[in-house]
Amino acid sequence: MQSLLILVPLVCLMLFNLPWKRGVGQAVSFGAGLAFLAAQAAAALWAMLSGGEPFADPLAGFLVFKTSADGLTWVMLLTIAVVAASSLAVSRAAFTDEKDRFYFANLLFVSVIGMNGAALSGDLFTLYVFFEAASVASFILIAFRRGMAGLEGAFKYLVMSTVATVLMLTGVGFFMLAGAGTSFAEVRAACLQSAHPEFARVGGLAFMAGLFIKGGMVPFHGWLPDAYGTAPGPVSVLLAGIVTKATGVYGLIRLTGSVLPMMPEVQTLLMTLGIVSIYAGALAAIGQSDYKRMLAYSSISQVGYIVLALGCRTPLALAGAVFHLLNHAVFKSLLFSNAAAVESRLGHNDMNRMGGLQAQMPWSSLSAVIGLLSTAGIPPLGGFWSKVIILLALWQAGFHAAAVLALAASLLTLAYFLSMQRRVFFAKGTETGSAVTEAGAAYLWPQLALAGLTAAIGIGFPFVYRFLLTPIQQLLW
Amino acid sequence: MNLAGIPFFDACGIAGALLLAAGLYYLLVTSNLIRAMIALELMIKGVTLFLILAGRVTGRQDLAQALVITLIIIEVVIMVVAGGLVLGVFRNTRSVGSRQIRNLKG
Repeated sequence: MQSLLILVPLVCLMLFNLPWKRGVGQAVSFGAGLAFLAAQAAAALWAMLSGGEPFADPLAGFLVFKTSADGLTWVMLLTIAVVAASSLAVSRAAFTDEKDRFYFANLLFVSVIGMNGAALSGDLFTLYVFFEAASVASFILIAFRRGMAGLEGAFKYLVMSTVATVLMLTGVGFFMLAGAGTSFAEVRAACLQSAHPEFARVGGLAFMAGLFIKGGMVPFHGWLPDAYGTAPGPVSVLLAGIVTKATGVYGLIRLTGSVLPMMPEVQTLLMTLGIVSIYAGALAAIGQSDYKRMLAYSSISQVGYIVLALGCRTPLALAGAVFHLLNHAVFKSLLFSNAAAVESRLGHNDMNRMGGLQAQMPWSSLSAVIGLLSTAGIPPLGGFWSKVIILLALWQAGFHAAAVLALAASLLTLAYFLSMQRRVFFAKGTETGSAVTEAGAAYLWPQLALAGLTAAIGIGFPFVYRFLLTPIQQLLW
Repeated sequence: MNLAGIPFFDACGIAGALLLAAGLYYLLVTSNLIRAMIALELMIKGVTLFLILAGRVTGRQDLAQALVITLIIIEVVIMVVAGGLVLGVFRNTRSVGSRQIRNLKG
């Protein structure tokens, strides 16, 4: 079944673009996209609950590489399906032109192929190929409106992403010099018993540096707020929710969790970068006046928690990192959908010119509150549990200072989000009593569905822990 | 200078490292988007040579060939998209200088 997750969207993409009668592709693409993503989510859930795939792979021979799947893959596939579906739903409301909707659906399919392929790949080079598929789709998506800001954000992302690519390929080259091929198992073996372990070490560091850029960790984060902030609403849902996570952060989890062996210096590096990202992202978010840029900095800060947990390198920390990735995807796409709804009603993102939207947009305000509480880690929402797992894992492993610092940063998170909520919705401001109306149902239902999901993850935590996170703890070697 | 005397992988390694360094330097100093694209190309070419070298040294040319061919295809796709973006910038500002596009502050 694994190969279908790559082949079905590919075939769909070709079918949509055949020279049908006018409007046929447009009419079908939205429904087909939602149906495929629903099927993907169902398949991933099935695999997690039953421990095996729904049916055997009939088309595995069509792919030139071998797919491989484990607990982490299924969590990623589920997350990709959820975020891509909400982005598709928001795009229905955000783009009024039929053609724009069609182009968006096509590019979303390319992006989903890239992310699914990355999650299913079993070697470093295939990982790189699928990362590029996802990245290229997002360059075009950021510049979707062909405005100056979008083009600038996209070009910055392109330059940084290409530099990251060069670093990752240098890493692959060093792994080859150390005597390995590109598959995870070969690289792992080469790290342990190579004639030149220093090459394997340099390769690991170079590959990781590339992933830091792709994931937007702090010293390399310059492109991220520009790309997220300038992209159209549904695109920033997709980018912030999953694209950078399924490329950079997923790569880091895979590399540090199940490919590279324990290296104390790498652990220290990851923890330092994690703490720096948490604080730099949160402090920068406090100073923003643009709603989407603030969310982008908050994203950097939350990715910091994931990397911090990776640096700890215990089974529990790995589960916490993956769980936080899932939670982050849910609440960040919720908040970006919210920003898209507000932007569609006001025509701008400047928080200083908002204020007082509570009366006009009560449902959007409610979903924003749920999203921010989940991000700040307030029980019983999903974000609380993943942060608790990460903090517990840090404390157990003896990193008391890191645990305390991470806990203190939660207060900063709450600070900038409460300031956001006050400036946009609660406080009296420019928009008090204005004629703005609540965003349409097409904007609201993805938000409310995601809000329900983050609450459900929090309340159903024992269930989530048993089926999603227990398999992941066994990945660490 | 007798080029035939230099072993293949030395030449490959030196040229690859030079291309990487030149590309990185050019990317940092240039203020022209087309030149930034050229710089990215130089860096990718450098790493391509490095992969060939790695395949040659370890005797796995088949693997290196497969990697390099895939890499070239992907590189072309990225450069086409980059060209499209630069064209979009040019249509908006009638210029390909990166001074015009420094409105965003990271």
